[in-house]
Amino acid sequence: MKKATWRPARRRQPEVRVWVSGSPPDIRCRKYDLRSFCNMVGGRGPKRDAGDSGFLGFRSGSVDPGTVRRRRRGPRNKKRGWRRLAEEPLGQEVDTFLEDVRLQERATGGLLSETPDENLFFVDKGRGEEDSKIKQDLKKSFWIDRVLESNSKVPSPKNILAHQVPNGKKLKRKQRLWEHLAQQGKQPREVRKAQARLLQPPTPKTPPSDPADRPFYDLWAQDNPLDRPLVGQDTFFLEQTKKKGVKRPRRLQTKPSQAPAVEVIPSGGSYNPSFQAHQALLQEAHEVELQRQKVEEKLSRQLAFPTVDKAPTQESAFKELCEGLLEESDEETPAEPGDGDADGPAPRPPGPEKKTEQQRRREKEARKLKAQQAAERAARKRRQEVFQLRGIRLQVAQRLTELARRRERRRLKRLAEDEKPRRLGRLKYQAPDIDVQLSTELADSLRKLKPEGSILRDRFKSFQRRNMIEPRERARFKRKYKVKLVEKRAFREMQL
Amino acid sequence: MGGLEKKKYERGSATNYITRNKARKKLQLSLPDFRRLCILKGIYPHEPKHKKKVNKGSTAPRTFYLLKDIKFLLHEPIVNKFRDYKVFVRKLRKAYGKSEWNTVERLKDNKPAYKLDHIIKERYPTFIDALRDLDDALSMCFLFSTFPRTGKCHVQVIQLCRRLTVEFLNYIIASRSLRKVFLSIKGIYYEAEVLGQPIVWITPYAFSHNHPTDVDYRVMATFTEFYTTLLGFVNFRLYQTLNLHYPPKLEGPGDKDSKDQDEGAYAMDSESCLEKLSALSASLARVMVPVTEEEVEMDEFPADGENAEQEEGLRKEREAQEMHKKLFEGLKFFLNREVPREALAFIIRSFGGDVSWDKSVCIGATYSENEPSITHHIVDRPTQPNPVLGRYYVQPQWVFDSVNARLRLPVEEYFPGVLLPPHLSPFVTEKEGDYVPPEKQKLLALQRGETPGYVNESEDEDSEEDEEGESDDQEEEEEEEEGSEKEEEVKLKVMEEQRTQGKKVGVTMGTLKLEDKHRLEQEEANEAKRLAIMTMKKREKYLYDKIMFGKRRKVREANKLAQKRKAHDEAVKAEKKKNKKARRA
Repeated sequence: MKKATWRPARRRQPEVRVWVSGSPPDIRCRKYDLRSFCNMVGGRGPKRDAGDSGFLGFRSGSVDPGTVRRRRRGPRNKKRGWRRLAEEPLGQEVDTFLEDVRLQERATGGLLSETPDENLFFVDKGRGEEDSKIKQDLKKSFWIDRVLESNSKVPSPKNILAHQVPNGKKLKRKQRLWEHLAQQGKQPREVRKAQARLLQPPTPKTPPSDPADRPFYDLWAQDNPLDRPLVGQDTFFLEQTKKKGVKRPRRLQTKPSQAPAVEVIPSGGSYNPSFQAHQALLQEAHEVELQRQKVEEKLSRQLAFPTVDKAPTQESAFKELCEGLLEESDEETPAEPGDGDADGPAPRPPGPEKKTEQQRRREKEARKLKAQQAAERAARKRRQEVFQLRGIRLQVAQRLTELARRRERRRLKRLAEDEKPRRLGRLKYQAPDIDVQLSTELADSLRKLKPEGSILRDRFKSFQRRNMIEPRERARFKRKYKVKLVEKRAFREMQL
Repeated sequence: MGGLEKKKYERGSATNYITRNKARKKLQLSLPDFRRLCILKGIYPHEPKHKKKVNKGSTAPRTFYLLKDIKFLLHEPIVNKFRDYKVFVRKLRKAYGKSEWNTVERLKDNKPAYKLDHIIKERYPTFIDALRDLDDALSMCFLFSTFPRTGKCHVQVIQLCRRLTVEFLNYIIASRSLRKVFLSIKGIYYEAEVLGQPIVWITPYAFSHNHPTDVDYRVMATFTEFYTTLLGFVNFRLYQTLNLHYPPKLEGPGDKDSKDQDEGAYAMDSESCLEKLSALSASLARVMVPVTEEEVEMDEFPADGENAEQEEGLRKEREAQEMHKKLFEGLKFFLNREVPREALAFIIRSFGGDVSWDKSVCIGATYSENEPSITHHIVDRPTQPNPVLGRYYVQPQWVFDSVNARLRLPVEEYFPGVLLPPHLSPFVTEKEGDYVPPEKQKLLALQRGETPGYVNESEDEDSEEDEEGESDDQEEEEEEEEGSEKEEEVKLKVMEEQRTQGKKVGVTMGTLKLEDKHRLEQEEANEAKRLAIMTMKKREKYLYDKIMFGKRRKVREANKLAQKRKAHDEAVKAEKKKNKKARRA
């Protein structure tokens, strides 16, 4: 059965084309006995057995398996037997026979042997007038269409599923039930609902509230709708039932930065700037650019691969590896011979000589005397300080002014710090580029003005500058795994 | 000795701070939700003084919040709404996955929504607080209102922003509170004074968008969400202070039907109201028409010494401001189609001028180009095809510069095709000793009411000063007084000389020696100063010398810049002349 499946009949078509009854009349054809011809092709025509079923094969080797003489028998466990089996496997005749039958069915709509002669033969009347080449070409459909056409004579099987209703039995039963119920005056739920809706149409839905048509009211007036439900209620009750809301801490009333919300561009950014102002702005932008270039250059210099003359040679690399090792050994070598014989613990340097009891006593007395004298001196000095009041006052004043000066300096420093944008996250705030137009880009009239920069970015940066949002960079798409490249055998890259 | 061992990081700054991730977990919110909550509530990250202590010994850079702030956030009712929303999204996704369309519809109808009213009230307890924070709100709303509707943010948000900004502009026009305008290469900066608070905002030029990729749109959208709510409440209150209708209504509903036809061409009925409002050409209807514009008289206090001068200054300032408000009153402008309509209409109307444009440019044109009463026609092309007599054709910069100079500038320098004087920033105020560019000097002179020496500067064009010597009479009077004093001095000197020349021995009547009190005082002051310098301590002297050196250096630099400028101007002039000669030849 495997071989009986459809195969492109096209390949064999040339053998068949002349005999097909539906073929156009202009195709050349002689009157032959096709049956004999077929058998000639099969090569077995003359040897017909008594049990001939009358089968005509299209192909060579397709014979009615009933008529074939029995197979040669022989041992199959011998090498000779295997060879025979390989040459003509079991059931080959049946296969070819069935295949031929299918082919005939496809090509002619039935078995050749059973087709009446009129369908197989016609009288060749020779070339007619309508036979001209041009007309032929005109009539011919396109090759591409012909290829796609089905030329099988076997009708395609019907789609059975198209006529089947799933759950048909159940539905039929249900329908019968509802018919039965309808006679009693009962109706299904959907029908009842639809009828009810017909009697009482639902109120049309209000469209979703648009933020544009919000009710207007004065938020800051005495009796605004926002506070109205809370007016006159017990505060304790409101607090306990969490209706009042928590008071906003005072800390949050101050802004996180003193910078103005809208920073006006300097005078040089005018659409028609004065010469000086424009130059000043250009200078500023230039300096920023210069700084950036400097940083870039520095980086590239640091990352540059050394040139040949600067590249480390083998010698220098070795030297670097030995850095610090050799010098130590240099120092040690002269020291070694001296140390060599002193193996025991190093002798302690001799300390100071031990004091006698008398010496200790005297020292102690001297110390005591000294302390006493110092205390006396301090007391005397304190007594004298009454007369130095003016000087002390001066010192105090000096000290105070110094402290005040420091305080002021600290305050100024803090103010300067406040001016700067804070570091709020992983990234630092980066000031946007200064928007500037070169003298050649400046428009000579308002009509020709080409706006520079983007206000959206400006606003965004301003929020960052004022510490309202942290600077972020756009999250980039990151693949979790590496992409693997595989070359398929079907299409390979051409190597020329 | 003894007692429990003190553990590290259980007291002090380590317990005052909390990392962002911990805070997020404490609030049971996702990171985007947490971020949104923080922005809405005005809680910002904090940089600790000693990072290592706070970070439990680690030096990894982290975002820290104050623990008390996070505890405060725990009480916020909106947090629950955020959680509800999360659940809602989950349910919706499930319903979609199961194709249960009824459920989807039901869920969508019950989408959890939250209001920010209470947060606004909490963050801005008084109206003035809200006004002080309006800079950000306005800038964001103006920015978002110009966004293209391409899905970078919700269309409703864009529309809301547009509506709110138009309302605000209409208020500024009605209250005449615009003060300064600055056209920069980025956008247009405005400064207005609303209820005594200076408010600065920036608006982008029309169609100038490139969407930068390094901006987090979600964060910006959250800020906008908050600021639109704020601006809505502020607008309502502002309209109430002027007795205007809110939502705004235009004046003159009588001829509504007649206009309907050409309105149809611009916008649908639902949008035409906003479109007409945003044209800024008509004034707003008031709830009740004010009976008479009564001048608010300031309280007069008995003058005493120091205060008198101050009060005088204040009075002058007030008068100047009143004059400024009526800058364009009585003028009729017509805008050509190439000038930025919205900005100019807004500015002209907020200084009392009438403005119109071609009917095909925008809705709300009040008169046509052929109107004979038009005084100024604003064009931005070098030549005008068929000029009409009886009106000035000026470039748009004239309007902006006049507003900043607080007077109607002479129009000659702003004629079409003429090289414009530079547009100076009104936000820059020069300190004493700073370099003042000649254009600004000229302007200051004009403000003082002098006719500046620009007649001799522009020799080739015989320009006439037919316009506007308008300025405060007060200042002029003052100058006259000064002048008379000087004259007296001169007379005295002449007399003295005569006296000394005719030397005759003899006794004459003793004349009262007039002591110039002023000079004496000055001399005394000088003497005192010198003495003070002499008696200075070494350190102070050093500081004083440094300050004086700085001042002199500033002056020197200013002089240098002035010279440079002179050289530049001369070079330009020489070239001009050469060109002219070449053209003549």
